[in-house]
Amino acid sequence: MKTKTTSGIGNPLSRLEGKLKVMGKAKYSSEFAFENLAFAQGIQSTIASGTITAIDTSEAEKQEGVLKIITYQNALELKGYNGRVESPSTKGISPSLQTPEVHFYGEYIGVVVAETFEQARYAANLIKVTYAENKHKINFEENLDSVYKPDKANGQPADTSWGDLEAGLQEAAAKIDVTYNTPIEHHHPMELHNIIAVWEGDKVTAYASTQMVENAVITIAETFQMPKENVRVITPYVGGGFGSKLQLREHATLGIMAAKMVDRPVQFTVTRHEMFTAIGFRQHNQQRMRLGADKDGNLIAVGHDTTSHTSFTEEFQETCGLMTRMLYKTPNSLVTHRLMKLNLPSPRWMRAPGEAPGSFALESAMDELAHELRMDPAELRIQNDTQKDPSNDKPFSSRQLVECIRIGAKKFDWKNKWNPKPGHTQKENWMVGYGMSASSRAAPYLKSSAEVTLKRDGETVTAVLKTDATDIGTGTYTILGQTVAETLNLDIEDVQVELGDSKFPVSPGSGGSWGAASFANGAREACINAINNLKTLASTDENLSIVELMQQADLTEHNAKGTAAPTEEFDDYSVYSFGANFCEVWVDKDTGMVRLEHFVNVASAGKILNPKTAYGQIIGGITWGLGQALTEHTEVEPNYGNFITRSFADYHVPVNLDLGKIDVVFVPEEDYIANPMGVKGIGELGITSIAAAIANAVFNATGKRVRDLPITPQKVVTTPVTA
Amino acid sequence: MKPSNQSASSDRKLGKDEEQLLDDLGIFGQSRRTFLNQMSAAGISLMAVPYFTSDMFAQASKAPDLDPESLLNALEVNLKINGKTYPLQVDSRMTLLDALRERLNLTGSKKGCDHGQCGACTVLIDGKRKLSCLTLSATCKDKEVTTVEGLTQGTDLHPVQAAFLKHDGFQCGYCTPGQICSAVSLLDEAKRGEVSYVTKNVKDEVTQLSDEEIRERMSGNICRCGAYNNIVQAIQEVHSGKAEMPRWEFATEEQLEASRPAE
Repeated sequence: MKTKTTSGIGNPLSRLEGKLKVMGKAKYSSEFAFENLAFAQGIQSTIASGTITAIDTSEAEKQEGVLKIITYQNALELKGYNGRVESPSTKGISPSLQTPEVHFYGEYIGVVVAETFEQARYAANLIKVTYAENKHKINFEENLDSVYKPDKANGQPADTSWGDLEAGLQEAAAKIDVTYNTPIEHHHPMELHNIIAVWEGDKVTAYASTQMVENAVITIAETFQMPKENVRVITPYVGGGFGSKLQLREHATLGIMAAKMVDRPVQFTVTRHEMFTAIGFRQHNQQRMRLGADKDGNLIAVGHDTTSHTSFTEEFQETCGLMTRMLYKTPNSLVTHRLMKLNLPSPRWMRAPGEAPGSFALESAMDELAHELRMDPAELRIQNDTQKDPSNDKPFSSRQLVECIRIGAKKFDWKNKWNPKPGHTQKENWMVGYGMSASSRAAPYLKSSAEVTLKRDGETVTAVLKTDATDIGTGTYTILGQTVAETLNLDIEDVQVELGDSKFPVSPGSGGSWGAASFANGAREACINAINNLKTLASTDENLSIVELMQQADLTEHNAKGTAAPTEEFDDYSVYSFGANFCEVWVDKDTGMVRLEHFVNVASAGKILNPKTAYGQIIGGITWGLGQALTEHTEVEPNYGNFITRSFADYHVPVNLDLGKIDVVFVPEEDYIANPMGVKGIGELGITSIAAAIANAVFNATGKRVRDLPITPQKVVTTPVTA
Repeated sequence: MKPSNQSASSDRKLGKDEEQLLDDLGIFGQSRRTFLNQMSAAGISLMAVPYFTSDMFAQASKAPDLDPESLLNALEVNLKINGKTYPLQVDSRMTLLDALRERLNLTGSKKGCDHGQCGACTVLIDGKRKLSCLTLSATCKDKEVTTVEGLTQGTDLHPVQAAFLKHDGFQCGYCTPGQICSAVSLLDEAKRGEVSYVTKNVKDEVTQLSDEEIRERMSGNICRCGAYNNIVQAIQEVHSGKAEMPRWEFATEEQLEASRPAE
């Protein structure tokens, strides 16, 4: 058997679909051409709470090209919530236009369908809506007395505790009690949410940008109360998701409804402006951190209380205290989550929901504690390491946090660079600071299916792998191609991967950092089944090549399916990825502007299927963490309850000049408890604790502890020096 | 004008999918022969992944629906795009971006914000980078528009396209066409010695770009996936001609052993 050296897993292959992407040939869901395509434009509410009393569509209807104006008065009847308050689900219903009630500013209250995009857009502006307004609740601070304990915080228990936090704090030689605020943030994938809906009889095909194909089918079928078999969802390429495309949202419902009502294919694209209210966001989290340690730096009390907000129609809270429950050993712990209801859109999952804001609080607090103890913050983390999950006493399937910290410190030259005295290093007009943080993110593994089709032409076998998984920029095409090449011992050039069609075998979709592990194991199962089938058909148990097996069985084509799923053993362990971050920032003495000079990330995240695409995930996460730390902030207008930051001109995502040099070290790890291939997620580990590392470096540069993100120049200038 | 199938490589017959792909890529005649000599059949399939093997793409290559039935303030305009002239009737409000995407099925140029704030729609107009979402179609009379689809010469990727692929200068790929058009124009601007916000002395001509100069000049193109550092490497490699090295590594067994926690 010839051995392949360049195509299998672990190699830094360029993306298989990359050529199409750089040529502009990759077709995203709104780019399929249809004859007779009509265009829909949404209309959004301009009050935060109330009831629509009148809608004047007369001017709009007179416009050339307008085909239909849909409001609650003539909308198709859908399955609605009927007053129930539910937690959002990735396969939950997405009803729209079912009642005249308005729950938040920017809710879809209508849609205009026209021959052209220009006509639809203009006509939408001519519609006049009159409301009976209710008194709304908008302000976070003013409604703090209305908080309650939710049933769950994103599927996790709202509260956990062991030992006695207060007693631990009493005993502590060093303690801190501080509150951090992280603002509302928005996902903003570059590809706008969109759909092209095409009905044929009672069947609908939705070309819709989504992270989860199967769940999108369920959402459509449930919302429209139609058989699942009559729904097809297609999304071969997804222009970023970051959690916002986990659930197919109301725009998709409206596109499908409009297509039915005008009996033509309809395209509905959410505008960038609408992206602030139509697809969810990360909620504002107020986090109180209480840490206590003995004089040697052993944690003896860890408290983390999160207060956040949801809407009046849905209950959602990201689990900010998740990492606090499992990262460090402590005899006394109390972690709580509380919610208030506001007349804002429902918050949703956004990249590392819980960990991203939660890690900012925990890892900033650890830095503050290290400062109190006059300890090296890296040593404080190492000292409180645990090989057993303190929240459930389960062993970790693998945990190399200490290794990550030590390797990162060496790579960064932490011991020589970091000085406990803030402001120790200056360069021209810059104050230079160094910061670090530890990180962890669960590495879930879910049931995933795939199908492989082998075709033999003489001495050559080609394989086509199909699964309904998606590639949202994560490298799915490439890592699955590598998995198939490795398992079947084929050249990568002889492997094709097809994704993003609900006709393909079901995967769990992209989300929650389970994609790589789940999809790859599913693909591997299909390939293993193919080999075993062929051995039977060829009546051999020798380890022959695929070509030889197919020749011996006299086959030119063979098809096999496979499904991978976690075993019961998985639940006996806590399965997480771990990482460490080190960074250098420069702070302008006069303006307070912060720039990132250098970042070192060390990741221990199982088997790295492709270091090139994995590096992409990490630098992307660092870019997100940089935005969280320095620039991103959605501002709520206090009188009307709309978001006043509603374009890229005022919601600042990082741009190229904002970044600095980034080095990434992958720590080899063999964790076959996690799954048979030992793969763990990396996309959300990449953002976790980044903001804390940057904020800690800002403190080290200036002696100023900015506890409310983002760390804008204004806050740097106005925050007093505390060290 | 479409050449006959016989003009393809003589030593093997093309599949229907392959024919369609090559047609779609605009590879005909001599360049088709060159192309086929360079690639195996499976290689073509790989390029097509998952382009034509699935029926989900049946719609992707259909002829676009030209001139809609009703237009407000219709204007006649000959759009010259990638060397080809398209006579179109357009709504006076139609942007160049919407004309490309919705009327000509040239969907390489992307709509990311429609406000001139993200750069995803960047194209070259008379050789300079412009935002097609802020350009009305009707103003493009007598102008040469180049989109990302027009950068590829026959079978060969433009050096910037090849460098983006090599250095993984993208993830989801949605901002990529705009980034690439912007980068192509940036390299021309550098040849002309143009200065930028980060240029220390604006009286100097800048022809050798530092990474910081590239970052500044690419800051009009947002990449939400955060591939910026790879984008800089890709552009710097084309600009300087020197190979850029990856900035990831695996920890060695020795490093790992030396960093283990105490039992």
